[in-house]
Amino acid sequence: MSLTVDFGIPGLQVAAGDHLCAFYDGLAERDDVLLPFLRAGLTAGDKCICVIDASDLDAVVGDLWADLGEGRTMVEHQLEVLPVERVYLRTGAFVPDLMLDFWDDIVSSALGAEGFSFVRSVGDTTWALRDAPGVVNQLIVYESRLNRFLPLYPQVVLCLYDIGRLSGEMIVDLVKTHPKLLVRGAIVENPDYLEPDEFLAAHS
Amino acid sequence: MTVASGLPAGSSDRVWREHLSNLRSLLVLSMLMTESEDQDQISRLALSSIPSFAPARPRAIYVAGAGWVAVEEPCTDAALRAGLEAQLQGLDNVGGEVEIPGDAWAWAFALGGGRRRGFLVAGAAAEPSKEARSFLQVLAQQTGAALAIARLHASERSAAEQLAALNASLEATLAALRRSMEIHNRLTEVAVRDQGQEGLALAIHELTGFPVAIEDRYGNLRAWAGPGEPDPYPKAPAPEREKLLRRLIREGRPTRDGGRLVALARPRGDLLGVLSLIDPTGAAGSHELVALEHGATILALELARLRSLAEAELRLKRDLVDALLDGTDDETVESRAQGLGYDLGRPHRVVIAESNGTTRADDTFFQAVRRAARDLSLGTLIVARKGTVVILANRDVPWEDFRQAILRELGGGRCRVGIGGHCGRPSEFARSHHEAQLALRMERSAGIDQASSFDDLGVYRLLSGIEDLGDVERFVRDRLGKLIDHDAQRNSELVRTLTHYLECGGSYERTSAAIFVHRSTLKYRLQQIRDITGYDLNDPDTRFSLQLSTRAWRTLRSLREG
Repeated sequence: MSLTVDFGIPGLQVAAGDHLCAFYDGLAERDDVLLPFLRAGLTAGDKCICVIDASDLDAVVGDLWADLGEGRTMVEHQLEVLPVERVYLRTGAFVPDLMLDFWDDIVSSALGAEGFSFVRSVGDTTWALRDAPGVVNQLIVYESRLNRFLPLYPQVVLCLYDIGRLSGEMIVDLVKTHPKLLVRGAIVENPDYLEPDEFLAAHS
Repeated sequence: MTVASGLPAGSSDRVWREHLSNLRSLLVLSMLMTESEDQDQISRLALSSIPSFAPARPRAIYVAGAGWVAVEEPCTDAALRAGLEAQLQGLDNVGGEVEIPGDAWAWAFALGGGRRRGFLVAGAAAEPSKEARSFLQVLAQQTGAALAIARLHASERSAAEQLAALNASLEATLAALRRSMEIHNRLTEVAVRDQGQEGLALAIHELTGFPVAIEDRYGNLRAWAGPGEPDPYPKAPAPEREKLLRRLIREGRPTRDGGRLVALARPRGDLLGVLSLIDPTGAAGSHELVALEHGATILALELARLRSLAEAELRLKRDLVDALLDGTDDETVESRAQGLGYDLGRPHRVVIAESNGTTRADDTFFQAVRRAARDLSLGTLIVARKGTVVILANRDVPWEDFRQAILRELGGGRCRVGIGGHCGRPSEFARSHHEAQLALRMERSAGIDQASSFDDLGVYRLLSGIEDLGDVERFVRDRLGKLIDHDAQRNSELVRTLTHYLECGGSYERTSAAIFVHRSTLKYRLQQIRDITGYDLNDPDTRFSLQLSTRAWRTLRSLREG
């Protein structure tokens, strides 16, 4: 039986190994998903990794600290807020293999040396949608391959997508590559998502 | 053979999975579009998802009434769109095939939902499968529904915004009305409680926070409220003041004049006062403007009331003076005088002033006489009457000083003053008036400007007192008849010349100056007089007799004028 954890939004539960895609419209809507998710993780003692645009770092971290309230301190390294430049684009270009290696390193380290028992990761992909078209294709390949990585560790990954920057074609591909979707505050099970082998075969 | 989904029978599991996944994607896409309130976003998502569901390219979305809500190449071309729109007009509500240059196949899928007709148009190099066309048809249906909902939201939002704007406007109007009521009530209180101009200035100052000045039409300060009252109060020169007033009348509303916002108090068109808000920084807004306008109305009422009182008092005074000069019954007149707070028991004289020897008793002359009389404390019963100004003086003054004071007030010109004898009772005012008139006429006949008192008329006073003037006329006729006839026939001035010659004691020099003729002319006229009458003008008896005659002649002329 898989481990179930609180998503952070009342009534929403996720299970270890879940790979969720959340669509949002505007930063306020993004933070309505992002912040409860991280706050629940911090409260539960999970390792929380947040990859967002550098311009939002202070606002997000500041809000989280404020939300924890007086007398609540985080465990060392519990929250890592990383700018996209240091994660998705750390070599100057987006390469799915490197990204998967990055996640493997940071998650295994958190569960090993750092001593955490569960990892929550969240990545905002707004950066990719304003870059060159080729990045979008690579991003979809990466999203599909991420499904192979998820079962390896006790973890949940939440991918954030700004609907204002998405094309309809991209939405279709995201639906096909995420087993669970978070649409306007509701988790939608997606039994019809395509396994990586199926999707990548059709996508290539 | 195909199944209901549009897939051929015997399709592989992978194909089925792909098909189901597309359906799920379409469902999520529909959810996102339906949740969106942005019609542009909905159109963009719908068009850009077409390649995911069919081997086709997005072309355009058309909605009746809204036109082309999204277009892709080649529909960015206006002429092409016009042709395509004509084709869409011919389609039914299900949609159908259309022709687009460059596309072997093009189809307009009817948008679902809402009451507006609309189409999602796609094109392709070859006709897509039935399954793919079904996806596009569903996509169009969902797009239409999402657009209809978004339009409804937009309409509701617009209605809500209009309602909010209307509410805000109503609230602003109510607030303005409340402020206006507050101003109205406060200023009405000033009027009802008879708080005068001081009270009005204070009320406007308290309502607006700005210092307030009330001036008369000449720029004299009547009331000030608030800090910074200038001392001395500045007064613009008369021409400048008149220019400002003309501008304010022309504007017809409160107008800025330097550091002031100024309104006029003009009851029935008469300019009586000026109300100013001292506002050097121009900070006064609509609230202050309303207070100023209301204040100007209250000031106009107050000034009109004061003027009406003054006019009533003046009318009563005029009636009293008329009654006194006409010799009305004592008791009636005395009771009216007491009503006006005037003591007729004091001794009086009737004094008459006239300007330029004519009837120039206009307002300027009247005001000059009034101010001179006020300065010399002659009393307050002063009226304009038959071209002159009549003063019922309750004290004696050097009357020539009074005349000079009038001239000073006038700034030059001419003025004669006639002073009647004392009157101790109201019934004697008519006599004093008659005497003042006679003194004035004597001046007039003598052609000189001075203050003449009846008491000082001497023989004239004696002559004027004779009731039967027949003997006097015969006396004059006996001695001056030939000269009077000569003057009448030849239009000469021998009687006047003789009169001045005798009054000047036989001095050629003084006589010439008095009648403005050359000395030789005077001598010629005197010789004419001698020739006509045979009188010896050097004989003392003759001269006495002739002087009495000429004075009698002047007296008769003056009496006849009356």
